[in-house]
Amino acid sequence: MNSRLPACVIDVGTGYTKLGFAANKEPQFIIPSAIGIKETAKVGDQSSRRLCKGVEDLDFYIGDEAFEATGYAVKYPVRHGLVEDWDLMERFLEQCIFKYLRAEPEDHYFLLTEPPLNTPENREYTAEIMFESFNVPGLYIAVQAVLALAASWVSRSLEERTLTGIVIDSGDGVTHVIPVAEGYVIGSCIKHIPIAGRNITYFIQSLLREREIGIPPEQSLETAKAIKERYCYICPDIAKEFAKYDADPAKCIKKYEGMNSVTKQPFTVDVGYERFLGPEIFFHPEFSNPDFTIPLSEIVDDVIQNCPIDVRRPLYNNIVLSGGSTMFKDFDRRLQRDLKRTVDARLKLSESLGGGRIKPKPINVNVVTHHMQRYAVWFGGSMLASTPEFYQVCHTKAAYEDQQHGFISNIVRTSSK
Amino acid sequence: MILLEINNRVVEETLTVKYRNAQAGGKSEYIDVTVADFDGVLFHISNINQNKSKIRVSISLKFYKELQQHGADELLKREYGDLLIPTEDGYNVSVLVDLENIPENWPEIVKKIGLLKRNCFASVFEKYFDFQEKGDEGQKRAVIHYRNDETMYVEAKADRVTVVFSTRFRDEDDVVIGKVFMQELKEGLRASHTAPPVLFSHREPPRELQNTDAKVDNNTLPALPYQVLQGVHTQARPENKSTDKKTITGRTFIRKD
Amino acid sequence: MSATLRPYLNAVRHTLSAAMCLENFSSQVVERHNKPEVEVRTSKELLLTPVIISRNDKEKVLIETSINSIRVSIAVKQADEIEKILCKKFMRFMMMRAENFIVLRRKPIDGYDISFLITNFHTEQMYKHKLVDFVIHFMEEIDKEISEMKLAVNARARIVAEEFLKRF
Repeated sequence: MNSRLPACVIDVGTGYTKLGFAANKEPQFIIPSAIGIKETAKVGDQSSRRLCKGVEDLDFYIGDEAFEATGYAVKYPVRHGLVEDWDLMERFLEQCIFKYLRAEPEDHYFLLTEPPLNTPENREYTAEIMFESFNVPGLYIAVQAVLALAASWVSRSLEERTLTGIVIDSGDGVTHVIPVAEGYVIGSCIKHIPIAGRNITYFIQSLLREREIGIPPEQSLETAKAIKERYCYICPDIAKEFAKYDADPAKCIKKYEGMNSVTKQPFTVDVGYERFLGPEIFFHPEFSNPDFTIPLSEIVDDVIQNCPIDVRRPLYNNIVLSGGSTMFKDFDRRLQRDLKRTVDARLKLSESLGGGRIKPKPINVNVVTHHMQRYAVWFGGSMLASTPEFYQVCHTKAAYEDQQHGFISNIVRTSSK
Repeated sequence: MILLEINNRVVEETLTVKYRNAQAGGKSEYIDVTVADFDGVLFHISNINQNKSKIRVSISLKFYKELQQHGADELLKREYGDLLIPTEDGYNVSVLVDLENIPENWPEIVKKIGLLKRNCFASVFEKYFDFQEKGDEGQKRAVIHYRNDETMYVEAKADRVTVVFSTRFRDEDDVVIGKVFMQELKEGLRASHTAPPVLFSHREPPRELQNTDAKVDNNTLPALPYQVLQGVHTQARPENKSTDKKTITGRTFIRKD
Repeated sequence: MSATLRPYLNAVRHTLSAAMCLENFSSQVVERHNKPEVEVRTSKELLLTPVIISRNDKEKVLIETSINSIRVSIAVKQADEIEKILCKKFMRFMMMRAENFIVLRRKPIDGYDISFLITNFHTEQMYKHKLVDFVIHFMEEIDKEISEMKLAVNARARIVAEEFLKRF
């Protein structure tokens, strides 16, 4: 090919897969990472059940179509960010490439993502599928957190673009706090928080259930989700916010209008305190989860304090948000303020302990928000894959095949113990 | 999905979202999307003159000049009519979607634009089916270099239209596997009486292609004449050729482990 | 089983049983190292004469022995191009997962399709006759496996062709 076709960027997450061509601002498809296959009810292990004589193994659907298709068993090949079923994963990618992207894999370079702490084996399997089944000319597997950092470059000036920072990645199921130093994830310091988009939705749902009676029960979850996405924001102080609502309810309380999917009757819901209470569980987790009570800002602070001392300042200076659940208005300001308080208090303490002789240099706390936040990982990948450097760092098929024969030194080591 | 679709999903979904959004009275945003399709085709969806409600969809095909010789322009004019607009630089065909006055049948328009690539190809086939119907044998053979080293030939005789694909595999293993699949395609005819006959030859071009520049070397596997005979040609509508090519190479089908 | 396969496998079995006579032996060259001598080849006196057992010019087994390790390399019958590809892919698939097979070598010896490397540590952990059985069983199965896969490829091609032509 004379002119190069754009690279394909595929970010397979636990819940959703984002796929598209490099250099675009948004992924072309966001589909559930689900695959609907036909399984015969025969007994036997998984592999023998899936063995077939005809073309049944080509008869499957992915994404939203998997749920719509009747007579298909819906499976999730990815769990907790890691691929569990490679056979299904291969088929999932097959349709991603041929049916959705409509790309001939032999003509496009590919950028895939992996979660932090992915195992080398998983990476090898991914490479095996891409190179051997799909015959791609080049492949790059990037760590999601690093891509999220790169995505934040859109809002920063050239000299501020670093690959050192904390990524707060909050999707539907779980929130990760991941420190990255010069492009390398500090694996030992990663923390997971069991509070993410889904928990906020449930919390709002429970608040609504206590008060609103007009919502059809089977639609209560989607109503809560719509309210979350449309009206929720983060407030600086709950007590003041309550007072504000009480003083001027007409201005603060919104109306949500829905439609009963069965009777087609419209219904309305008053949206009140849940507007700020919902996302507040990031900072007061005890509202919804009695087992987990540490606020997000404290966890971020903890993570940074665990990191090597020489990267702590740059980490405080670059806290990057990524994922749909960080999209609440003023999320960045609240996090920045809370963190700043903790940090300043610590500096003050050390100053007073030192008897006031040493004045510590103040620490900058900077939470970065940008308009590509929702699909930050994919966007970072799309940016990376559209640069000419991408083609230099890519692993080519030739290199992959060479490397297969580079294991000779391993033989001697493993067999002699 | 057993066979590949002929429409482009990205284009369809992008436009559907735009239309829906405009209908619901939402503000439209700037759009600038470049996507690829099979055979090195590129689509570009963008706004004209910074106008957020005017969306231009352009397609670039490397071999569009060859298609033009066979009436691609006329066919597109017939299919898209008023939608066609002056072509964007670097592309071959552009159509316009206007979000300010949305026609009743917008889902049809979206469908149509999704089929842009298929329709570009269709002209060649339609022309030669016409020749065949009229019994016009004297026409020159159409040659479309649809990929860098792969070519398609279309020829009309009084009783048949012959389509020849030359496929070239870069990978040596693919040549072998491709051969098996082609062989079976040729023999698979027995299962279906309505299907057009398929022949294939390895290394040397079929008789139909004598005295052409058909590239031949060890990797040029099968030139695959597809003969669409008179009796069956109504069913044998011009299929998007990338569909069948993918199916028979079987690149995605064989699990060697 | 064809008439020539049985004696061929028998010969391999007996040779393997006789050759698999390994003991712990530390490296004579590097202190506190213990390496499979058949691989490192540092001391000539520790290596035995290799044996080749062949059924025909394509199918053969190379057995190389040393004091603490034995290397068995197998060349598999490949009648046509398809079988060649299948054999290559199959062996490669196995060798990429060599750690699961314990005695499998990650790379075959030149001229052969697959190699096993058995050290004295393996014979200490596993029954010797089972190890021999494993290699023999592998040789029996591999031919069958490859011809089955070849049929599957053909069947697959036919089904795909039929599915495609059905649409007309």
